Amino acid sequence: MRTGVFFCQVENGKNLNIDAIAKYTANLPGVEFVQILGTAPRIEVNVLTDLIKMKSLERVVIAGDMPGYFKPVFTKAMALAGGNTDEIQLASFKERGASGEYAQDRAKAVIACASMAVPFSLVAVPAGNPVNHSTLIIGAGIAGIQAALEIANAGKQVYLVEQTGTIGGHMAMFDKTFPTLDCAACILTPKMVSVGQHEMIHLLTNSNVTEVTGKPGSYRAKIHQRARRIDVKSCVSCALCVDVCPVKVESEFDAKISLRKAVYIPFPQAVPNAFLVDEKNCTYVLSGGKKCGVCVNKCPKECINLDETDKIIDIEVGNIVLATGYELLDVGKIEQYGYGVYPDVLTSLEFERLTNASGFTGGKIVTKTKRFNKRTQQEEWFFSPDGVPPRNVAIIHCVGSRNKKYNAYCSRVCCMYSLKFAHLIKEKIPNVNCYEFYIDMRAFGKGYEEFAERIKQGGTFVIRGHSAFVTMNNGQMVVRGEDIINDKMVEFKVDMVILAVGLIPASGNEELSRMLGITRDSDGWFSELDYNGSPTDTEKGCIYVAGMCQGPKDIPDTVAQAAAVAAGVLRTITSGKGVGHLSSVTLNEIEARAKNIHTISGGHYVNQS
Amino acid sequence: MSIRVNPRFINDLVLFGAEDVQLCYHCGDCSTVCPHADEVYKFPRKSMRQLQMGLERKIETTLEPWLCYYCGQCSEQCPREAAPGETMMSLRRWLISRYDFTGIAKQFFKSGMTEIITIIGFALLTAVFLFYYGYSMGNIHIYDGKGAFLSSPFIHKFDLTLGSLLLIFLAINAFRMWYFTMIKGTKVPVPWWLYVKELYLLPWHFFTQKRYSECESKRNPKIFMPWIIHLGLMLGYVIMLILVMVFIERLQSGPAIQWQVHIFGYLATIGLVTGTIYIIRNRLNKTYEQYKKSHSTDWVFIVLLFFIVLTGIAQHIFHRTGLYELANITYIVHLMCVVPWLLRMPFSKWAHLVYRPLAMYFAAIRRDAITRREISLKSNSVSIK
Ligand SMILES: Cc1cc2nc3c(=O)[nH]c(=O)nc-3n(C[C@H](O)[C@H](O)[C@H](O)COP(=O)(O)OP(=O)(O)OC[C@H]3O[C@@H](n4cnc5c(N)ncnc54)[C@H](O)[C@@H]3O)c2cc1C
Ligand code: HEM
Ligand code: HEM
Ligand code: SF4
Ligand code: SF4
Ligand code: SF4
Ligand code: SF4
Repeated sequence: MRTGVFFCQVENGKNLNIDAIAKYTANLPGVEFVQILGTAPRIEVNVLTDLIKMKSLERVVIAGDMPGYFKPVFTKAMALAGGNTDEIQLASFKERGASGEYAQDRAKAVIACASMAVPFSLVAVPAGNPVNHSTLIIGAGIAGIQAALEIANAGKQVYLVEQTGTIGGHMAMFDKTFPTLDCAACILTPKMVSVGQHEMIHLLTNSNVTEVTGKPGSYRAKIHQRARRIDVKSCVSCALCVDVCPVKVESEFDAKISLRKAVYIPFPQAVPNAFLVDEKNCTYVLSGGKKCGVCVNKCPKECINLDETDKIIDIEVGNIVLATGYELLDVGKIEQYGYGVYPDVLTSLEFERLTNASGFTGGKIVTKTKRFNKRTQQEEWFFSPDGVPPRNVAIIHCVGSRNKKYNAYCSRVCCMYSLKFAHLIKEKIPNVNCYEFYIDMRAFGKGYEEFAERIKQGGTFVIRGHSAFVTMNNGQMVVRGEDIINDKMVEFKVDMVILAVGLIPASGNEELSRMLGITRDSDGWFSELDYNGSPTDTEKGCIYVAGMCQGPKDIPDTVAQAAAVAAGVLRTITSGKGVGHLSSVTLNEIEARAKNIHTISGGHYVNQS
Repeated sequence: MSIRVNPRFINDLVLFGAEDVQLCYHCGDCSTVCPHADEVYKFPRKSMRQLQMGLERKIETTLEPWLCYYCGQCSEQCPREAAPGETMMSLRRWLISRYDFTGIAKQFFKSGMTEIITIIGFALLTAVFLFYYGYSMGNIHIYDGKGAFLSSPFIHKFDLTLGSLLLIFLAINAFRMWYFTMIKGTKVPVPWWLYVKELYLLPWHFFTQKRYSECESKRNPKIFMPWIIHLGLMLGYVIMLILVMVFIERLQSGPAIQWQVHIFGYLATIGLVTGTIYIIRNRLNKTYEQYKKSHSTDWVFIVLLFFIVLTGIAQHIFHRTGLYELANITYIVHLMCVVPWLLRMPFSKWAHLVYRPLAMYFAAIRRDAITRREISLKSNSVSIK
């Protein structure tokens, strides 16, 4: 078939050598014409039609990172030229993982397949390896928990590695979830408990993966478990040790808006339900065993062993699941909102903890109270359960998201949780004024648009326009913005500002990607193998991504993806064949296989050999 | 009311310097930080919108571009890096070409080459004319007085002619600006006495450029640099122009320094030298938002001014040290820069010296008219109740 290949929106250099790929393409069987259309092509339909006619092209391959974008033009031209519009083939480099060290060959293979109208995924199948039946899951947020339960319930061994002292991740911090306003704990806690009790799940908290070797199907991992210094099995969570501990630090679980001791439990329903000693702050540990140690004798069960040492655990697994979640962007660097300068400017997570019924204010939404710190001789602001509720609250969307200076991408969940916040505020504080400043309302899920409408009707002032800054006028915070729909400049006096801060990948991802040899996209999220076709697999066989670590998503999507991952894991285990690394298939092999497969008119693929 | 849309307007504006307008997603951050935006004049977001929609005929009637003093805060904050500040600057360029009835400004803005070639052409014409005049009427060895190469009475006639020509062009363009903005663009009735009431704004804004200083007072730390520098430059310029247009005989007589006029000349020189060097340095180093992008006309403008000042100083020094031949030649070079500069004025960025004070004046009138209208509407609605 006379084929023409057009490279659209491609750039020589960084990733790919397009000229070399074009040369290779020109030598493919059937390829009559190759054209590179540069970085920002403007394609005229009539010119293209003439070209197709002149070269009597019967098939057109559009190659590039986003070939689908140009498909309509080509289809139109093909139709005008009297050709078969089904013969427009897409060769998508990005989607097929043509990046990193295999980029060049991968791009060639993708084009070769497209020029023969053979689906890439049909021929680019690496050989299978024998599979170890155990699975390693890194990160125990809702994604890790869900995947672990699915796999373990199928009767397969899971090692669940979590870096903090408890499982649960971010979801454990929330009070209610959008759009149903279900109680987050009611959904999560039972799952957490069954993880803790499951005989097929080996839970390793306070741990990090430090080394991974081996190949798909048979990986060896080294896990560094930091000493908990309290025996998980005998601790009864009586909290007597806490009373005597003299060290106070900010609680990570409470997004640093409350204090905890150096011996602590992140939250009462934590799993494992046992206390732990914070080695970075414990006086005994810091002084090398010379000072303090008072908690040891206080413990009625004698389960505190301050001299416990870290452990290195070696495990062998067949599959690895990444579920490391996300973090918040550091808002301190976005100065205009006065975070860290004005006391009542909060991040979204801080507000989640403030409004949480099991939080330290008992779910009461209050502004900060001033007190004098005798030790530092300075005034400081803190949340007290007796604080005054705010009468006016502003919620600002897209803080550091969709912003070229910080994150160019949309964080996807913040529109919805901001609306949820408005609801919680309205529900808890009578006669409160709540202002939401948004740019675009991304209510993308089932029932979400309706939720958004309900909030608007509930009396929240939802303002189309982003607020640019927060200032302080004689002790009164003022938020300014442009109300675009009503064509007004607005200025509101508020007592509390909540920032819908952008989400970024967990800080450990870079190390993990190096350790496992899998790629991350330009924003730092783990790259899936194929965004549409295999969103849970990665480039490397038998390594999967679940939840937020692959890109921003909400809880329902996270849970769905985690379950899909479990299916993938179980598939490899039951088939006995773990998919190898895609790079183990060479360009020549792919080419040869593609040639073997021949398209017949009905669109059925048959093997000629 | 229907309004004609020009879908290619945004592309046309690229030549005037606005390249990133499409990027804007209307968050309104820019209008919020802008120290000059207010309830009546909300910009730059609205201008971005009008541009994206191709509302050429609407933008033609707006005053907003002139109310922006290019402090650059909007561009600094814009999450999409859509350069709203530069868009306002580009709109000013476009408006200048729109007010200009000859179409020359448009050519200059669209092609730096055309502008430069025209300038060189006029410079050469000036040189030929002046050398011919000088050799036929005077002596290259004499700078001033009897038999002078370029005698001051002749130069006086020469510059007054130039000045009048320029005034005619400017007046027509300013009239067009008034027609676009106040007749076509102001939808509420404007009683004549508002024109009298706000008249004081013209000299006020011309001589103080107060809004320029407001641009910076919102900044932390406060830096009044661009404003002070511009004020010095502008006052220096006005002084020089008065000296040349009115006191040219005194200015040119020597070789002893004529303190009564030269004291002003020196003061003006300080303002002009610091101003031009400051602006050229900042544009080269791309320091503030305002200086980050330079259109070809920005360079022509400031470099030409710099040459005028430089040659003026050189001529002064040669004259006062008795190097008359050199002084005469430098004089011609001085005028080779001055003539195209002055003739270009109604078609260039520099026309802002007229349009800006006028815009402030018109804006105040329009605002008054709108408030008047609102008040009358309110009282009406009360009576209906
Ligand atoms: C303020 C806010 C409110 C939200 N509200 C809602 C809502 O109402 N409804 C909804 O559907 N979604 C909501 N979301 C989104 C929701 O939080 C996520 O969709 C969900 O938590 C993603 O779960 P996850 O397991 O992928 O990530 P996480 O919850 O972040 O879990 C990741 C886990 O991995 C651990 N980890 C990270 N790195 C490593 C490592 N290197 N080694 C070992 N362990 C590691 C972390 O400690 C953590 O426990 C909200 C998000 C925010 C920020
Ligand atoms: C003789 C009169 C004037 C001269 C010689 C003059 C000169 C200049 C010059 C050289 C610049 C350009 C700086 C650059 O290239 O970056 C400039 C910019 C500017 N001028 Fe003037 N000016 C004059 C009158 C005025 C008046 C009357 C106003 C206001 C009322 C004004 C307001 C501005 C502003 C706001 C800018 C910066 C934004 C822009 O470039 O448009 N100027 N002027
Ligand atoms: C038709 C217009 C002009 C004429 C005829 C003219 C003529 C002169 C003359 C005769 C001198 C004095 C030289 C001497 O000392 O003998 C001079 C100096 C000078 N000119 Fe011009 N000039 C003109 C326009 C300008 C313009 C527009 C500027 C810039 C803004 C300018 C800037 C200067 C400067 C800075 C000096 C040196 C200072 C001084 O001598 O006082 N001139 N010019
Ligand atoms: S030994 Fe450490 S944990 Fe125990 S009481 Fe002292 S500081 Fe607290
Ligand atoms: S979800 Fe909404 S608030 Fe969050 S980044 Fe996207 S648009 Fe902005
Ligand atoms: S700040 Fe930028 S994106 Fe936002 S409205 Fe202004 S120009 Fe548009
Ligand atoms: S540059 Fe300054 S004055 Fe001009 S629109 Fe932007 S913020 Fe306003």
